[in-house]
Parts: sequence; structure tokens; C-alpha cells
Amino acid sequence: MNIGELLTELPEDDFAYPGNGEWVRARVGEILADLSCRPVPAGSLQRLWTVSELSAQIALASFGGWLRKWFSSADNSTRRQMETNLRMALTIFHRLGYLRGAMIKLGQTASHLPGLLPDQVADTLDRLHFDVPPMHFPLMREVVRNEFGQGTEEKFAAFEKEAFAAASLGQVHRARLKSGEAVAVKIQYPGIARTIDADFRNISALLAPLRLGKDWESVKAQFEEVRRMLHQEVDYLQEARSTRMARELFRSEDGIVVPRVHDDYSGKRILTTDYIDGLHLSAFLDTNPSQESRNAFGTRIYTAWKRMYYAFVPYADPHPGNYLFLRDGSLGLIDFGCVQHYGPEEREIMRLADRMTFEDPSLMREVVRRVCGVSDDDPAMADYLEMMAESREWMIEPMKRPGPFDFGDEAHFRKGLDWFSRTVRKRITRANPMYVYWNRSVFGIKALLFRLRAQVDVHEVIRRERPLMKLTD
Amino acid sequence: MRVTTKVKTETRRRILDTALERFKTDGWHGTTTRAIAVAAGVATGTLFNYFASKEALAATLIGDRLGVGKRDERKGPVEETPEADLFEFIWTGFSNLRDLRAFLAPAAETIFSPLARSSVESPGDAIRIDHLEQVEAILAGHGFQGPRPLVAQQLYWTLYLGVFAFWAADESPGQEDTLALLDQSLKLYVASLNEPLRKETS
Repeated sequence: MNIGELLTELPEDDFAYPGNGEWVRARVGEILADLSCRPVPAGSLQRLWTVSELSAQIALASFGGWLRKWFSSADNSTRRQMETNLRMALTIFHRLGYLRGAMIKLGQTASHLPGLLPDQVADTLDRLHFDVPPMHFPLMREVVRNEFGQGTEEKFAAFEKEAFAAASLGQVHRARLKSGEAVAVKIQYPGIARTIDADFRNISALLAPLRLGKDWESVKAQFEEVRRMLHQEVDYLQEARSTRMARELFRSEDGIVVPRVHDDYSGKRILTTDYIDGLHLSAFLDTNPSQESRNAFGTRIYTAWKRMYYAFVPYADPHPGNYLFLRDGSLGLIDFGCVQHYGPEEREIMRLADRMTFEDPSLMREVVRRVCGVSDDDPAMADYLEMMAESREWMIEPMKRPGPFDFGDEAHFRKGLDWFSRTVRKRITRANPMYVYWNRSVFGIKALLFRLRAQVDVHEVIRRERPLMKLTD
Repeated sequence: MRVTTKVKTETRRRILDTALERFKTDGWHGTTTRAIAVAAGVATGTLFNYFASKEALAATLIGDRLGVGKRDERKGPVEETPEADLFEFIWTGFSNLRDLRAFLAPAAETIFSPLARSSVESPGDAIRIDHLEQVEAILAGHGFQGPRPLVAQQLYWTLYLGVFAFWAADESPGQEDTLALLDQSLKLYVASLNEPLRKETS
């Protein structure tokens, strides 16, 4: 994917206004021109710079758009301040662009936040962060040595020097344990985890002008949630725990496979699991699968997603790279870095929202009060109620008619996107922080099933999975 | 005569071992040549017969760890890219110096600083020359025509010293920040070498 393609994927809307939009576009052009003058011919480095600069540009263009929306009625002095902030943002982003990982994380961050990024761009970012440049063997071996006090040669019976997949902020190698098992070893690029807080301090500085807005507290809480989840995502010990948890949720008759974690070969920055032999989504689609096969996989994807949700450990990052399509028809789930662990308060909210969705629409006002923190006398209540009703409508649309629902239906997918962008435009953004990832999760799963063109009997899956939800803690 | 050579070798070794101990316990600035001489049981004047200065002593310690002057043959390319081989070469050097880290940063400042160089041979010269030869050999193994022009060599050395200084003071776990910095610095450097080639081909 090159710069031109990506820029064209940016929605026109974010550029089509006078003032800051033009300025952002011009500045992005400058950065690109500046970059093209630099000596960056080495393959991986070029990719590194291209990737990071691009994430920056996308994040920034959206950032500009976001500021514009937020301050649509601002006076001139506020506008000037905005522009100063944008300038500062661009400078900082540009500088950060040299650090692998940092920008990728920023890009991800932007894609998590409602209102920052349209879904199709978020999707593009997902693909980007799957594309980070590789570590060569001597570097990787040092990371392994740091973790285990032994190099790959001593620790493993066999270890493939070439990575077979990229992971967010790292890469995955095939290896064989001394006990003989074939495994996948995920290794994180050094130093990334410890940069998260510094990045967030920078972001907070950039967001300073928002502090006066009435939504600030909510925005701040949502940012904090993203920071917390990113910390969790780079902690492979935590991912090992989530993987084990998920593994316990599925039986062989489900046709859903979660790899076993090898604790003796795992640490904070390295995660070793069973190797699962399967195809990624695009490779699977290239085999021109039958509709039955698409439906079967789609049903498993949807089942896995629902089951984890009802077990209070929602799979918050259902992007295509995390699913494997196995030859025997079973589905492999392989990345549990981005799993939420709902505590008592979140479980309570989830139960309430679930009852509102499937049983009792009259609970809507209470949901708005609890989830969005909007009180009855708040003038925004009406807007929030309307937003909630539409959201519910979209969630239950697949259950309107009996039998399978066709997730390949573009109208359904569009409806969700429209709803999302309208809520952003109306600045209906107050929500419990748990919804930052929930929104991402819902859009992620629907985007995935849309690409798969799967027909899933949603009724049946929910009838089966919903009773798993514990009604009390 | 043979006895004299043996004694000389032993004295030299003793001075070096003592110096290492002193540097480790008292630090670079807290150690004087006089203190080293006393601890090694030699007269200060005798010490200077072996090592012209404290810097020369430290440079010898560092050079020994890095195998300066002891490599019989240059290694051919092992990894697929020059970045990987350079990384391996530099990191191996760092690993061999790891227990000297405490005093390396201030020592390197005077040993390697271009500003500290006088008309007489600087104590760090042997290390620098050996290191740059090794780098040339690695690059040649990957098909780069050498030797690099003086400016390019100086550029490399500046980059290397920067990473070296960073590593010497790096408190991150397993010096993981240095791993990242070295990786990215080498990508930058090799990219700058590729630049003229790219112009020719385009």
C-alpha cells in the first residue's frame, strides 16, 4: 500500500472544509516532500518510515477534522489556538515518526476513539500495523536472551530465523521445543512497551484545548482506557493469561481452536504457543470458498465473539489477522493481547445493556444514564436516547427475520457507519470507557463478516450463547 | 633476557588487573595513576613505562576485551544484510565490555573524544582503526566497494560513539533501549551508504 492509495482512502469530508483542513493537507504535502528528499532507500527502513509517517498523517488529518467538529462554533481566537495546536501536533508527530512502534500505537489509538477516525481508515490502520518491518536475527536473539538468559540455539530445539508473520509491535517465528512440539514464538520489538506513557503525555499536551469542553472528563477517561489496554497489549504475560482463559471457553465440538501457551517459553516480551496451521482471511478468500464454508466459518467467528462477550472477557480486536481458517473447517483464534476483563461495574452495565437490547427497550433511558452519564435534566438526553435507539436497532437487525442473516449486506454495514459518524458529528461522545473497545469490537466483527460475505443464524447463536452470561457475580 | 620479558609481561598484566579493579570500585574520575601504581606495587614512574596515561590504560583494557589486534582473519558475511552483521559485531563488543560499563561512559569521553586528540597518537586510535577495519570487512562481504571516504567513516564513528555512550548509561532492562537505538542507527547508516547507488540506478 502506498501513500497515494492511503490518502485516497481518507474520506473527503475531513479535507473539504476551508481553513485548517487545507492547512493540514498542505503540511502533509510538505512532510511527504521532505521525506522524499531523504536518503531512505533500504527496504525495511523505507517501509518503516512510510508506515510511521502515514499513520501520523492519517491520525493528524482526523485530528484536524475532530478539532474542527469540536470547535465548529469557535471564534477566531480559539481557531488560532487550534491552529497552533495543530502545528505543534504535526511537529511532534513528525519527530515521533522515526520511532518504530510509537506511531503505530498512536495510529491505533486514534482508531480506537470514537470521533477520531472513520471506520474504513481504522481498518487501513489495522492493516498497517500488521506491516511493521522485521527484526533481523541477531537483534531478535538478543531479545530472546534478555528474556530467558539463553539464546534461541540453547532455548529451542529448532528455531526459524525468518519470521512467518508480523504481529503488532513484533513478529512471530516458528520453532520446535526440546519436547518436540511445533510452536509459534511471538517476539516484541525492544523498548516499545516503555514508550507508551511518554506517548500519552504528548497526546495529553495536544488535547489541552479540549479541557474546557463539557465532554472533557469522558474523553479523558476514554484515553485512559486506551492507555491501560495498550499496556495490557504489550504485556505478553497478561496475554498468556487471557489466552488460557479463552482456551477454557471452547471445546473441540465447537470447532474453535485456541492454542496452548507454553509458560516455560514465555515472558513479558515473548509469547510461545502451539503452532496452528491455517490460512489468514485473504488467503482463505483466494481459495474461492463455497458459501457453505463461508457460513460455517462466519458462524464460528460470531460464536467465538459472543461467547467471550458473555463470559465477560470480550475479544476487543477482531481484526482479520487474528483468525485462522483451518483445513478441517475449524477456526483458529490466535491473538489475545486485546481482551477486556470486565469487573463488577462493567458486568452490571453489560447485563443492563444486554437486557435493553434483547428483552426490554424501555430500559433505554436507564442505559443512557448509566453508560453515558447523562442525567434526565440534561438537554442532551433526547439526542442520546435517539442515538441509543438507533444503535439498538442496528444491533438487532440481524435478528429481525428468522433464519440466517447475510452479513455481506452492504446496506447493513453502511447503516452502522452512518450511525457512528452521525453520533460523532453531533458530539454524542460521552460513554463509559469500556465502550471505546466495545465499539471497535462491534465494527471489527461486522467488517470481518462483511468481507467474508457470511450468512449467520444470529438467532440461534444468541439463543445458545446468551444463557452463559452469569446474571449475578 | 627471557626472565625480563616474563617479568615485564607479568607487571603489565598486574597493572591492568589492578587498574580494572580500581576503575570498578572508585570510578573513572576517582582513580589516579598513582593509586593504581601503589595498589599494583610499582613505582608511578614504572607504570608510565608501560602506559603513557590513565586513558592509555583504559584503552588497553577496552581493546583487550574487544580483541583489538588479535583477530587473525576478518569474518565473511554471516547474516543476510549488512545491518544484521554490523549489529552482531557491535553488540558482541558491547557484551564483552558489559562489566566495565560503570566507568566506560566517562572514560570513553576522554579516550574517544575527537576534541581530546592531540598531535601524538591518541590512546583510542588502535580501537577506532581496528573497529573501522572490521566494519569495512563486513561491508565488503556484502558487496560494498571500499574503503569508505573519510567523511563516511567519520560519520559511522560518530554514530557508533553515540550509541556507545547511550549504551554505557542505559538503565533499561537488558539495555533494550540500546538494542532499538543500535538497530535504527544501523538502518540509517546503511541507508546512507545505499544512497549514491540509488542515484546511479535511477
